[in-house]
Amino acid sequence: MASVAASLSSRSAKQKAEVARNYQKDGKVGEGAYAVVYSGIQLSTKRKVAIKKIKLGQFRDGLDMSAIREVKTLQELRHPNVVELVEVFYQKTNLNLVLEFLESDLEMVIKDKSIVFMPGDVKHWMLMTLRGLDHCHRNWILHRDMKPNNLLIGHDGQLKIADFGLARDFGDRGRQLTSQVVTRWYRAPELLFGAREYGYGVDIWAVGCIFAELLLRNPYLPGNSDMDQINIMFQALGTPTEADWPGLSTLPNFMQYRQYPKTPLRLLFTAAGADTLELLESMLIYDPNKRISAREALLHPYFFNKPRPTKLENLPKPARETEQAVLKRKAAELGELTNAPKKR
Amino acid sequence: MAAESKLSLQNALLTLEQLQHTPSMQDGFTEQQEDDMRQMGCHLIQSAGILLKLPQVAMATAQILFQRFFYQASLRKFAVRDISMGSIFLAAKVEECPCRMRDLVNVVDYLCKTFKRLPTIEPLALYGHEFYEMKNAAVIAEMQILKKLGFNVHVQLPYGIMVNYLKVLNLTDHPTIPQRAWGYLNDGLRTNVYICYQPPTIACSVVWLAAREAGVPLPTNPPWWEVLDASLEDVENIAGHIKTLYYRSLPISTLPLRIEQVEPWLVSQGQ
Repeated sequence: MASVAASLSSRSAKQKAEVARNYQKDGKVGEGAYAVVYSGIQLSTKRKVAIKKIKLGQFRDGLDMSAIREVKTLQELRHPNVVELVEVFYQKTNLNLVLEFLESDLEMVIKDKSIVFMPGDVKHWMLMTLRGLDHCHRNWILHRDMKPNNLLIGHDGQLKIADFGLARDFGDRGRQLTSQVVTRWYRAPELLFGAREYGYGVDIWAVGCIFAELLLRNPYLPGNSDMDQINIMFQALGTPTEADWPGLSTLPNFMQYRQYPKTPLRLLFTAAGADTLELLESMLIYDPNKRISAREALLHPYFFNKPRPTKLENLPKPARETEQAVLKRKAAELGELTNAPKKR
Repeated sequence: MAAESKLSLQNALLTLEQLQHTPSMQDGFTEQQEDDMRQMGCHLIQSAGILLKLPQVAMATAQILFQRFFYQASLRKFAVRDISMGSIFLAAKVEECPCRMRDLVNVVDYLCKTFKRLPTIEPLALYGHEFYEMKNAAVIAEMQILKKLGFNVHVQLPYGIMVNYLKVLNLTDHPTIPQRAWGYLNDGLRTNVYICYQPPTIACSVVWLAAREAGVPLPTNPPWWEVLDASLEDVENIAGHIKTLYYRSLPISTLPLRIEQVEPWLVSQGQ
């Protein structure tokens, strides 16, 4: 035909079996709503990979939406700061996604209190996060679940955005989106007020919360219910008015709330420089239209002023855990998952 | 293949080999028989989508997935009804407008009965045997589609591009051209043009065809399609393919929808 840009798959069944044989599954490293994650090896390259085995056929509604979203978006994205989808293969009735393997994540780093963060460390992590996020946004993809736990860190220090189970494209204006996204602590105000139309601002707000968490070494806005989340947010950043945020009172779940004054960020973030606070503040602007974009954030003076971002190889990593400790922690996390604030 | 897929602003296309030796033809179907079956499947998808109130993008994606699937698998092994259901189910998820299984099964069942000119008054008993069987078939079909297409479910559509072309050519306010061109895009889903050509070429072709039929002259010096990177040969080819749809009415009541109906039908056709 006229052009054969990407021809349809014509692999034989035998070749497909070989693909499956190229991977060796090792231990289980986690389990989510629709998948079990194993660590494994790509035998042809000896490369360590994560294999996400998707449970098929157990659901009344066929394949889970999040699996489709994840594959669909990751097939489009290729960036050093976005986790790479290496391959997809079938084995019996299981669908397997082969992803890059990264041993830790930003949450583990933040929680490891034996590490002291230097301002340059935080700067480099923010830089990598924003670069990855900018790549998503430039490809019209919203991540919708940005949190430290989803920012994986490789042995070389490289940070990569992972878990695209809630991601979707947002180019189409006027299409209604669900506001039930993003883990509560990182959920933007427009989502808390039930907005059905939103954009990259929701990811930026979450990155702002992550930025604050890196500075504080504690979650910045840890609400324990949706109501409490609004309360904590208003206490920290002041109650927004129609003047701050035109259109605020027309949001579906808007309610009048007691007026908290705005506390200047520098009272809480005592050690942070002026440029740091200015960037943080522009990510945590109530009106999503005034909030900074990933692209603009990358051009912020914060990234050009001293101190320079710490070199990749010098970034702190959590103490290497023993296999047993990993299993123990994962088990604890699994237990936590059922109680912890969770999207949906 | 999933492993090689890059930023997909383009659709996966067929090779000449794939187009000339389809799995169904290798399995004893004639070209005409295969065409009819494909058209029926697409008709089923489009009609079901309208009844389910899905957006046109979901129907378009579903039809393209359906067409792609039967270049990887034979109509002797997979029923048109099941793969149509699976395509709608999957496309609705891909396009972020998931539909309920119960509605899907009932709508498809209703349409299949209409195709066969059977009475259609009763919806299927919920949790009944027939309902259960169809639901199962849809889930399996969805999995088969994903499997055969190597998870390549990304589909680029020409609708937006066509609207842009209409604007460029100052045709948006014309009384018939935009509607007609849009209609050709919808009908074209029933042919193989979406897996033989990229969306911009298809968009050029339907505008060319609609303008030609409305007797509206468009710039030819230089030819406008060349400015939009399409060759006249491709444009004419696509238009020709789409137009052939209207010269033959589909013998829809005789075509097999379920797998057990395929063999008897092939035998009866052979006579």
